[in-house]
Amino acid sequence: MSAAPQQRSLTERGAETRESTGTEPPPSVARGSRWQRCIDPAIFFALFAGYLGALLGSVKNLGYARDEGFYFRAASSYGKWFQLLWTDPQQALRASRVDSLWQENHEHPALMKSLFALSQRFFEGVLFEERGTAYRFPAMLLAALSVALIFAWGRRTYGRAGGLVAAIAFAGVPSVFYHSHLACFDLPIAAFWLLVAYAYQRSFETRRLLWGVASGLLYGLALETKHNSWLLPPALCAHVLLQHVLTLRRPWRRNWWRVRIPSALVFMLLLAPLVFYGLWPWIWRHTYERLVEYAQFHLQHVYYNIEFLGHTYFEPPFPRSYAWLLTLATVPASTLWLAAVGGIASARSYLCERRERARQRAAAELPKECPPQPASREPARTGAASLWLLCIFSSYSVWLSSGTPIFGGTKHWLPAYPFLALFAGAGFAALQRVLARLLEESQTARLRRYRGWLEAALAASLLAAPVTMTAHAHPWGLSAYTPLVGGAPGAATLGLNRTFWGYTTGALQTQINALAPENARVYIHDTALDSFKMLQHDSRLRSDLLPWTTVAGSSLALYHHEQHMSRVEHMIWVDYGTVAPARIGALDGVPVVLLYQRPATPAPDQ
Amino acid sequence: MLVGILELAGQLYFSQAAPRLREWVALRPMVEQLAAGGELIVVTPRWAEPNARLAFGDELLPLRHVARAESSGFEHALEIAILGQSADELRGWRLESELESGRFRLRRWLNPAVEKPLYDFLAHVEPPALSVAIEDGSRGGDCAFGPARVSNGDLFGHPTFPSPRFICSSKEWQFVAPTVIEDQNYEPRRCIWAHPPSHGALRLRFDAVPIGAKIRGHAGLPYFFERGWHGADVELEVRVAAETVGNYRHSDGEGWKAFEFSTQRFAGQTQPVEFRVHTARAGNREFCFQAETR
Repeated sequence: MSAAPQQRSLTERGAETRESTGTEPPPSVARGSRWQRCIDPAIFFALFAGYLGALLGSVKNLGYARDEGFYFRAASSYGKWFQLLWTDPQQALRASRVDSLWQENHEHPALMKSLFALSQRFFEGVLFEERGTAYRFPAMLLAALSVALIFAWGRRTYGRAGGLVAAIAFAGVPSVFYHSHLACFDLPIAAFWLLVAYAYQRSFETRRLLWGVASGLLYGLALETKHNSWLLPPALCAHVLLQHVLTLRRPWRRNWWRVRIPSALVFMLLLAPLVFYGLWPWIWRHTYERLVEYAQFHLQHVYYNIEFLGHTYFEPPFPRSYAWLLTLATVPASTLWLAAVGGIASARSYLCERRERARQRAAAELPKECPPQPASREPARTGAASLWLLCIFSSYSVWLSSGTPIFGGTKHWLPAYPFLALFAGAGFAALQRVLARLLEESQTARLRRYRGWLEAALAASLLAAPVTMTAHAHPWGLSAYTPLVGGAPGAATLGLNRTFWGYTTGALQTQINALAPENARVYIHDTALDSFKMLQHDSRLRSDLLPWTTVAGSSLALYHHEQHMSRVEHMIWVDYGTVAPARIGALDGVPVVLLYQRPATPAPDQ
Repeated sequence: MLVGILELAGQLYFSQAAPRLREWVALRPMVEQLAAGGELIVVTPRWAEPNARLAFGDELLPLRHVARAESSGFEHALEIAILGQSADELRGWRLESELESGRFRLRRWLNPAVEKPLYDFLAHVEPPALSVAIEDGSRGGDCAFGPARVSNGDLFGHPTFPSPRFICSSKEWQFVAPTVIEDQNYEPRRCIWAHPPSHGALRLRFDAVPIGAKIRGHAGLPYFFERGWHGADVELEVRVAAETVGNYRHSDGEGWKAFEFSTQRFAGQTQPVEFRVHTARAGNREFCFQAETR
């Protein structure tokens, strides 16, 4: 923790830090009238409610993904335990009951599945007609909270407009919008990364114990959500070291003990394991063995197939370019460009500030090329930008190894996207400053009056494409690609993965209901049995239909296209005696899911 | 600002670039006219083919064309191209005509080096053209042709075992019939399922085959498994009039692979042709081949 007597210079630096980084808000959000003070909370809640509303409003035609089926089953089992805990706590806490009810899907920790269970228990039939939506609701809440928090953090760092742009840029990534709907862990873990990083940053800035405790508790929840959380502490530790390397004077060997470890890291070490342990009854017994099993499951995960540039990868070595290229292909270029501008602006701001300090120390004047930048609140010493950068790098770092599985498309590095969006907001703030300077230098004074409108036009021009893209991509989120690769048709031509998880059954639910004979067997292909049953439970699919796991014996057959799964479509051709699908679900003319109907008589030529 | 506007324009352009299903359906009358002689239809890019299959049906896009071994045996091809693409497999063919219809470009091609098949073994996988037996000394026996339970796996299962078929033993996989496997690009290949037996050899005898200059064919195993298996090699011996004209050996990982044997000395005759399939260890040897006399 922080150190002892001879720390005067550091303490001074701490004071300097608070001064220079300003816990006070940037000018654009400076406190004013009551109305002024209400704007930001209002925007926060509007973003939260707006995004949640958009998710709930678009959930009905989004089929249940394969993994959701497994989590529904697990949530149902955990729900029974919660029920038992309520009615007969003694019985619920018996080892045999804990083990039997928490065994389901024990390769993942329990937080989200527990929340799915509780949401279903309390909200099905109350807030939501559909059980699936009730299960999905907690993840949607976290997604909406992420959008609002990105605004809040962006606003604190570089101003309201930048924060707003950052929040919309995050919401305007098609894959983010898709994953935000699901009763899965990918968006929730991204949300917890963001929450922990924010609490850590506040703890670093303010040194208040409250933020340290919050960091510890939140990190416990992150651990309890998904194993991506293991990558967060290295980013935070690197951030602490980086800040001190930049701050401490040489010789470092003599000064190393001055390194102040933020309370957040200490509480993450102390509290998080307790939260993790307490919320996961499965590890209450045989803790060590079960934790080892959990870790090994993910460290030695089986390799699934995934198509990349026309080639299906199913074993190492995997292409190291996968994560980066796929990010380029799926995150709107406007957002990436803004993030790059934000990164450069943050680096420039930092370098200028550093030089400025060095010159101040040498009692020199401020250099002209580094004018004070009132709108930029990027704190050099609390280093929000370096924290964001480290979080991005840490999220992607495992794909620097060619041995890391690449299945799952972009979802596995989703925790990087909030920070990418924060950089995009920083980029917008930098553009605002450029615009302001141009207007100030302008001969026409009248133009200055339109600064607000010009900024709005700038924001609109940079956000229109991401928002349009995201709205257009629904409900085909995993098939959406940016214009950089030619959209969905270009990606199909390049041989990028078209879909996975079998969720697009939901896009053909009406056609299945219309075509299937009474009590028909429907071959469900990549859709999990429990996902299909949930579609039936929620009356999206007819209840008389029988989900069928082989082509043989079925009357209708679904085929969700993935390159390595083409063999399933070939099975259908030979079995049904036709190569002509009855219906196709497509994004922009690109077939994603095919529905075959067994003909009364096979084609004569087969 | 320019980045955003360009991206928005790109989004609007690319989302409308590829024809929709209704446009494919509307194209059918024109395709019927242009491919009236049962010609090969090649859709490019390949991902658009399901749209064509739905719109044109099995009459214009039969399984034997969709899951063809190669295109060298076709004299003409109608290429239906979108998004400015062109089919690699038609390189070297001579363009006969070209027209544009909406967002489609239809080009009729002539194969300057066509090798028309005299006899397609895949088209004769039934009695009396074909008889099948397992040759294993005393235990050998003829395989009866008849109906059987159709079966297939899921992703990790076997290709469709169709009905009717030549049933060689109580083991479900020990049969002979046409099916479809995937090649190393996961493209469909229609072929004759000829899993070698645990002992001896599987013999397919086609009577009265018109012989030309060569027998050309392809063979492989379902690539989804072949890519990861390390099983024994599978050997295919080809005999014309009881005389061996060639041997083909297939090792795991090779994918769909061509073979060609000269039959020049029998050219112009009608002779029985035998294919004998055997291996040292039969586990998971889901061998499948196609062949033609040319």
